[in-house]
Formats: sequence, structure tokens, C-alpha cells
Amino acid sequence: MTRIEGHLRFETRVENGMVMDAHCSGEMFRGIEAALIGHDARVAQQVTQRVCGVCPYAHAEAASLALEAAMGIRPNSNGQLLRNLIVGAYQLQDYLLHFYTLCALDFIDVTAVLDYKGSDAGLIGLREWVASELVSKKIFPAAPFLPRYEADYLQDKELNHTAIRHYLDALPMMANLHRMVAIFGAKAPHPVTIEAGGVTTVPTVDTLMHYHSLLAKVEPFIKQSFFNDVVAVAKAFKGYFREGKGYGNLLSYAYFPDQYGANHMTAGGATIGGRYTPLDIQKVTEDHRYSYYANQPDKDLRPMDVRRLEPIDYERYKQEHGKPQGKYSWTRSPRYAGEVMEVGPAARVVNTYKAGTNPQLTELVDRLNRELGISIEDYPSVMGRHLSRYIMSHLTIDRLKRDLALVEPGKLAYEERGVPKNAQGMGLTEATRGGLAHWIETDNEGRIANYELIVPTTWNISPRDADGRPGAVEKMLIGTRLRDPENPMELTRIVRSTDPCMACSVH
Amino acid sequence: MTQTPINRREALKKIYRAIVAAGAATFLSYRDLLAAVSQTPDQRPNVIWLHGTSCTGCSCSFLDIDYVPVVDILTKFTNMAFHPDISLATGSQVTNILERLEASSQGYIFVLEGGIPVSMPHACVMGERPITEWVELLASGATACIAAGTCAALGGIPKMHGTLTGSMTLDEFLTHKGIEKPLVSLPGCPMKPEHFVYTLLHQVKTGRLPELDESKRPLHFFSYTNHDRCILYADFQEKRFARRIGEPGCLLKLGCQGPVTKTDCMINGHNSNTNTCIRAGHPCIGCASEQFPRQILLHAYDEKRVIKKDF
Repeated sequence: MTRIEGHLRFETRVENGMVMDAHCSGEMFRGIEAALIGHDARVAQQVTQRVCGVCPYAHAEAASLALEAAMGIRPNSNGQLLRNLIVGAYQLQDYLLHFYTLCALDFIDVTAVLDYKGSDAGLIGLREWVASELVSKKIFPAAPFLPRYEADYLQDKELNHTAIRHYLDALPMMANLHRMVAIFGAKAPHPVTIEAGGVTTVPTVDTLMHYHSLLAKVEPFIKQSFFNDVVAVAKAFKGYFREGKGYGNLLSYAYFPDQYGANHMTAGGATIGGRYTPLDIQKVTEDHRYSYYANQPDKDLRPMDVRRLEPIDYERYKQEHGKPQGKYSWTRSPRYAGEVMEVGPAARVVNTYKAGTNPQLTELVDRLNRELGISIEDYPSVMGRHLSRYIMSHLTIDRLKRDLALVEPGKLAYEERGVPKNAQGMGLTEATRGGLAHWIETDNEGRIANYELIVPTTWNISPRDADGRPGAVEKMLIGTRLRDPENPMELTRIVRSTDPCMACSVH
Repeated sequence: MTQTPINRREALKKIYRAIVAAGAATFLSYRDLLAAVSQTPDQRPNVIWLHGTSCTGCSCSFLDIDYVPVVDILTKFTNMAFHPDISLATGSQVTNILERLEASSQGYIFVLEGGIPVSMPHACVMGERPITEWVELLASGATACIAAGTCAALGGIPKMHGTLTGSMTLDEFLTHKGIEKPLVSLPGCPMKPEHFVYTLLHQVKTGRLPELDESKRPLHFFSYTNHDRCILYADFQEKRFARRIGEPGCLLKLGCQGPVTKTDCMINGHNSNTNTCIRAGHPCIGCASEQFPRQILLHAYDEKRVIKKDF
């Protein structure tokens, strides 16, 4: 599968146009947790963010939070604010990348540009290019936009043209957001300056102004173009508020605090069977009965129970593939209170709405629900997830503006501490695609003795657990009706709505 | 900032300015570049981009190219036959594209991002086939190969100490398989988009890769270490060393990898020269170096463990 991060395969059994069974496989393994053992504790931040080039910011933050917990410190107010400015801008980039580059062309009809009769130079250029490609002798003309699944794309020509224009505009906007990350993070992808103790950059009036001027360009794009496109797609594909619902159990971690590390933008917690309860991290366990690992036992493991995951060899891998109930993914199966959970923007929105901790979120959700004729229960769905990303982007912009004004120029945002010896710590945060947890344990020289990550896509794309229950996305696929099994666009729309990040999920 | 497509002449001027700024002016002239794109659709070179054991960071970095709209690279300079994050094709459509293009006589530039897990072929699988097979197939049929980023160029994360997959760089893999192809390595974690676009255009225009060093890195980007051209070099010479983060002075004694990292950060900083790690108060972590990631990176001034040999 393309237009997701990394290597994902899904296999479905379809009978009479309906998906009867589904298997999702993470197809790439590097073994980074075990490799970290013996490295200095601070190396984890730089290495774990390279688990993922799409959401490295979240790993940098989770690794720093885990090490800070082991040190028993938290960043000063400038440290927290700069971290927010780096992570927040990166999240906005990640939302735009997901909606425009990875998902939009599943709904928008890119060939509609051939009918474009207006005067926009970008669309005229694209129209002429597509036309010349289609008459060329290439094996695959108009790549990378063709071939594609033929499906029920958006019909409205004008909406298509506007959205294609925004598809083009989103690219420099994303580069802008990466530049905002770089102002305080040094670079994007892989910002280096988020360290346990704060952020190594000393903010100046100049750098704050630079950030401000770029944010001013991004805000109208998000609050107008992105908003209009999401709402237009949501109205045109209303049925997708009922597709890909899955179990409907939602997990999130408290995310985006104020300068004192409190009053988070979104709430931590779990909604199971429609009922919200605050987070109890002790309820997290992991299975790997259907994953390509040899360690025993293979169920109900607490984080850090496994010291070195042992991958099975190639021969055993081939045997497992031949078995009817064999192992089929590098991804493991985390569970919360024994339940299969969905993580991501919909989980953040629903849990925060139910917790009632953010009045601005409640008001925005209520307004959108009235406009679209939906309720909070419709959010765990293909379209609900896209809508949730807009809601998160909107709130993030406002938080960034507030935080930017609170930074004190010239004040060090970093507190130095030695690496802690024989210590343990946990860091919880959210990537755009869901809750992320890191655990660290150090030895008597401050080196890593054990490390574990439980990553958003591990929750969403998990294979079956030891009890045989399908993972969250597997469940979303099962029961889906296909208009045309040769062009199963419904399934790719469902999978992409969870924004899978496979390199993250296995690591 | 909207992505208004600019005319070809303007685009080339911008790229040329970028290349001059990056210190590579002697390689391609403006006139040369202009000729690089005066082609019909059938003449534009095909590009196939694959992910090995990668994190997609280099692809994200590529999308950040500022000097020319990404869409122009896709529509005017090359024919991006397949890119895992941009192509609309999915599932068997993808394997079909790769196999038919490889079997055709059209030729293509093969870009690999990420490592190649040689001792564990099942550690990276695409379309039911190990990536090792795909890389062997596609590199064999390529006009030229580009190892994008540190993993494919020098080893990086998938080859870090303690990993089990037997990850190879593209150069090592081609040697291992006896495949002789022009190859360029563009280390950097992530790869800098300017390095990639320059290399691509050089190949498009001249049919050959830019001049390379012994590690197959373009000389004009990788001739000097970050230390050689560091903004804090005077502090180093005067032995003014920062004792902690936030203090003025050379960052060497806090773990800076600048002296062993050949790349052009000090001339062409990250994200269109917005910043560099050292300007951001952090020691260079050596992300473009052979040793990345080391056992210890940022550390305390009086750190004793750092004098121990890496593993």
C-alpha cells in the first residue's frame, strides 16, 4: 500500500462484495529498541526520532520526557514553550501532509483538471501537462498521478479545481512549517534540540519574529483552505461518517501542556463502550503471538517485560506464512484493560469532549456537528478522523500564537543534568496519528539497560492478539461493502484515515 | 506563499542561484540547465524511488525543496514513475509499474532511501517479495542509482551497533551482488533536498553523475567537514570551549561531531538555510557521518565515558 508511511500490506477475504476477514501486516523491521541497549541514555532521543521521518518530533519529545522522568526534572517555562512551538508546527505540517499529499486524491478527482477553463496558472500548467502526457508514448503516462483506483471521486468540478489548487499550495505551506520547526529545533525532519532538560536553543527577538511571520502565513491556509476542503469532502462523502468505525474504543494521552506543564490542550483517557475514564497507564499490555518474534511468553506482557525482542529467522518466517494460524506481522498487539483501542485525532477529540476539559474544543465540535448533522459518536469513522485533524489543527494554531507571546527572549530554555544511573522513566505524548509512549531504564553508568516504545500505529495496525481478536484497523475493514472489488477504494480510504506510520509501528 | 508555477527560465535561474550558493557553480552552467528541461514528455527521464528499511524522512525532506516547486520536478524535469508517498497507484498497480518499466528499454534513475537488510530479507518486504530482490532487480536495470540519505549511503540507523538485520548500504549491496552501475551517495539524516535535486539535474542534463569522492559523495557538497567551516571555528582556535549548553564557545567538548562529519551545513543550512544544529546551540550529532549514531552524543563537559572507544 502506498501513500502511507512505510511498508504495509493488507489482505482481505471478500464474499458477495463484503469484506469477511482482514489481516494487516507491518512489513519492515529494524530492531531499534534492542540496539539502543548499551548506548548513552541521551542517544535515545536522537535515535528514536529516526524511527519515523514523518513524526520524529513526537519521539524526540517522548524520549526526553522519559529521561526527564528518570532524572526527576521538568523543563522550565521557556523550555516547555519552545518545545510546544517545535512540536506544534511539526504537527500542523503532519496534518497537511496527511490530508493533501496522502489522502486528498482518494476523494478529489485529479483528472478534473482537464476540464479547467479558468485563469489560474498552476491549474493551466497541470492541465497542459496531463494532456501532453496522455498522448505520449510512455508506459505509464501522467505518473505519479495515474494509474489509480477508479472510484466515486468528487463530482463537483469547481470543488475539484479548488482542492487541486490547494493540493499544490499545501507543499510550500508544509515547507514553511518545517522552517518554523527548524527555527528552534535546528532542522526538520529530525529536530535535534529537544533534549531532556528543555531545548538547547536560546530564543531571540529575531527568531521569535521569524516564527511569527511564518505562522501568519500558515494560519489563513489552515483556517480557510484546509477547513473548506475538509468540510466540502465531508459533505460530499457523508456516508463515510459510518465507514471504518471499528470497535469505537478510543485511547489518548494528555497532550500539549501550558508553560507550567499543566492544562493540556487534549485530555488523556479511554472511552470504552461509549464511557470515558481518565488514563490508567498500568492497564497497558502487549501480545506478540501473531508477530514475528520468538520470545516466550507471548501474551499479557507489561511494558519493559521483554528485554530484547528476538526476531524469527527467514526459514521460520516462511513456515509461518504457510500456516493457517501463523504469525503475519512485525507489529505487536498492545491492549488497554484487555481491549483493542483506536488512537489518533478522533480519540483526542472524543476523549477531550467527554472529559470536558477544553471549552474551545467543545464549542468547535458542537458547531461542526450542527453544520454537518453529526454527533460525537460519529468521530471514530473515516470522515470523523479527517474532521478531527482539522479540529486539532485549528486549536494548535491558537495555542502556538498564545505560547509564542509567552517566550522570554534571551532566557536559556535548558537545564543541565547528568544522565541518571539505575533509573527508570516513562514519557507520554501524542503524535498526530495517536498516543505515543516511551519507557527507559538505565544502568550504573547511565547507559540504556532497556528501552521500549508503544507507538500509535502499533495500536491501530496491530495484528490479532493472543485471544484471536482482530486489531483496530482489521476490525474497521471487516463488514465493509465494496462497490467494485477490482478497485477497492473503500478499503484504502479506511486504512489511510488512520494515517498509518509503519516504520514507527514496528521500529 | 502559494506554489505559483513559474516559467521554466525563472525556475532554472532559481536553481542556478541555489547551486552557486552551495558552491557548485563549476559543475553546471545556467545554459546547461536550461537545456536539461527542453524535452518532450517522452524524453524526460523516469525515476523510481523505493523505501528500504527507511523512516520516510528523506522523502519528507525532498518535498521541502524550496528552489523549484516539487510539482515542476514531477512534471517538467522528470517522470516520477513511482514514489511510495506521492504515487496514486497502490497494490498490484505498483508492482506492475516497477516490473514493466524494468523490462522496458526506457531506462530510469533508481533512488533508494533506507537500508537493505541482507541477513534478514523478511525484515523488509514489498508486494510479497523481499526488498533485497527488488533492489537487485531495479538497480540492475537502472541508468544510474542514487543512495538517498545516511541509511542508504553510509549505514545510519538500520546499521547501528546492536541491530540484527545485516543492513547494507546501496554501494555495499551493489558490490555484494556484482552489479556495476553509476552510483551517488547523499548522506544526511535526512538527506538535504538541494543535494538531491542538484544530483538529479546533473544526471538529467549530462547523462552522468557529478564528480564524486571515494565514498561516492558529490565533492562540491562533501569536501569539507562541518568543523572546517564552523561559525565557531575561531572559538576553537582560541580554545574557548563552552562548558555547558547556552554558554558561548566551541561545542567540541560537549560532544560535537563536526570534525568527523563531511557535509555542507555551514554553507547550506537545514530547511533552506533556516538553521543548523550548531546555530541552535546543539553540538553537531554527525548525522551525515560514517559513525552515526555513536554510542554517546551530547554529554557533560567533564564526561569521562567519552574517552572510551565506541563499543
